[in-house]
Amino acid sequence: MWNYSQTLLDHFTNPRNVGSLDNPDGHAEVGSSECGDAMQLDIRVDADDRIEEALFMTFGCASAIASASALTEMVKGRTLAEAESLGNGQIVEYLGGMPEEKIHCSVMGSEALRRAIADFRSRRDRVRQAIASLPPELSRALEGCSLPLERAGATRVELVCGGEGHPPVEELEQYLADRAGHPVKVGFSV
Amino acid sequence: MTAYFDSNATTRLAPEALEAMLPFLGESYGNPSAFCRFGRALLDPMENARIELAHLLGADPSEIIFTSGGTESSNMAIKGAVRLMPARSRIVASAVEHPAVLEPLAFLEREGIEVSFAPVDGEGMLDLAALESLLDEDVALVTVMMANNETGVIFPMEQVAGMAHRVGALFHTDAVQAVGKIPVEVQQIGADMLSVSAHKLHGPKGMGAIYIKGGIDLPPLIHGGHHECGLRAGTYNVPGIVGLGKAVELAAREIDRQGRNLSSMRRRIEEMILESCPGSSILGSGSPRLPNTICAVFEGVESEAVLTMLDMAGICASSGSACSTGQSGPSHVFKAMGLSDATANSAVRISFDRYTTEGDEKLLAAHLPRTIEKLRAISPYS
Repeated sequence: MWNYSQTLLDHFTNPRNVGSLDNPDGHAEVGSSECGDAMQLDIRVDADDRIEEALFMTFGCASAIASASALTEMVKGRTLAEAESLGNGQIVEYLGGMPEEKIHCSVMGSEALRRAIADFRSRRDRVRQAIASLPPELSRALEGCSLPLERAGATRVELVCGGEGHPPVEELEQYLADRAGHPVKVGFSV
Repeated sequence: MTAYFDSNATTRLAPEALEAMLPFLGESYGNPSAFCRFGRALLDPMENARIELAHLLGADPSEIIFTSGGTESSNMAIKGAVRLMPARSRIVASAVEHPAVLEPLAFLEREGIEVSFAPVDGEGMLDLAALESLLDEDVALVTVMMANNETGVIFPMEQVAGMAHRVGALFHTDAVQAVGKIPVEVQQIGADMLSVSAHKLHGPKGMGAIYIKGGIDLPPLIHGGHHECGLRAGTYNVPGIVGLGKAVELAAREIDRQGRNLSSMRRRIEEMILESCPGSSILGSGSPRLPNTICAVFEGVESEAVLTMLDMAGICASSGSACSTGQSGPSHVFKAMGLSDATANSAVRISFDRYTTEGDEKLLAAHLPRTIEKLRAISPYS
């Protein structure tokens, strides 16, 4: 049996942040059960590009599970830029070391993070492009409201209106979902 | 609390074997090949061990050669057979042999010998028709294990031996997982050579034997002094030989009762697994199997994670999977059975022996279902 650190065994037996998100801002699946290791990572990112939530599911050995658990703990509350600077070496360090043969498990963790962030950016780009090219009838119905592009996320956008009337929130959500390929929640404020 | 469920890897030395060995690690240190009485007095205990093993296998004592273990025995049989029959250039084996057979075969392949492998089916059983179709008069040796170390599946030795002999080939079987667990009679199975390992049957490590049928002039693997009639040079491992003899004596005495006990333990553990671990199955359950071996698949859960969690609970089991052995890819046995890599990566081997207690069984039953449930809750495939 491998010589694992107490920290690693703790993350293996009590993994943090297990699960998945409904309609995540970023999603990644790396590895496969065929390779003996597979991991799925969901992230929720706020309007300030900060990772609010990170949940994982892993099929793999103790170090694969512990790496995923450690990764989610390390990225929570960090900005995307900070998270992107995390390498697998930091996961290994966080877990108090790992047998040489198991380092690939930590690589899988940082790969999942990289891909989940890339997925978030591509989802958000689709939403922002949809906002930038609203069809004329929606644009007209939204007159007097603003949809700040720089605050638009991958699954949530903020709609600020002047006060009078009822902006077509549901139509906007439907349009954005069709264009983005995933549900988008419109937060409406006056 | 600890519980050992890795008996196919190795077994504990029988206390009686240890006791029998101790004098030969102490005051009885002579060299049996020497002239003086210090050594000569050791010949009898060694010959008794030879008689015990011959008796267990239904062989003549002159047909038993002591070696350093199953690996040496199989190397001697395989490399020797090729030298013995220089006009023939082929060897046929099963696809699920142990590395102790596969690696000497790979070595001979590099020397120009053609090696063919007979497949097994999804239940781990040897495909006899396919084996037969591989045989011709150019085959020097057929080497097929008696029972597989990972699945416990027992192969039909008599039929394999018959097929080998019909084309004039020699038949060797790596019987290290079978001897001491199920009846092994060399004449009944028709073996020309058979490998035995002491530590698989509660004897000492580093000790084994090979049965070579009388009249087969197998050349030695190790050259040196005249030990073992020139067939295996090297000063006798007296404590090892005596320990093997005692272990064999116990196995012969216990084999029926032990077989019944192990069979019912296997049934109980398999029931526990299937009832309390959803998504589990037993590999090779459609084939005759060793009474002490369970190879269970827990869908959606990676085997090494299971082993690590069991290890933390004091339970030792094993798997044929990649990570645990440091090799890459799932075991060749599971591949040969046509299992998907996903299934192969979820297989756990639970093997036990004469010394496995009800307490061990209870510890396993207390931790295994919980372990599977816990890991499945983390798995994206649950």
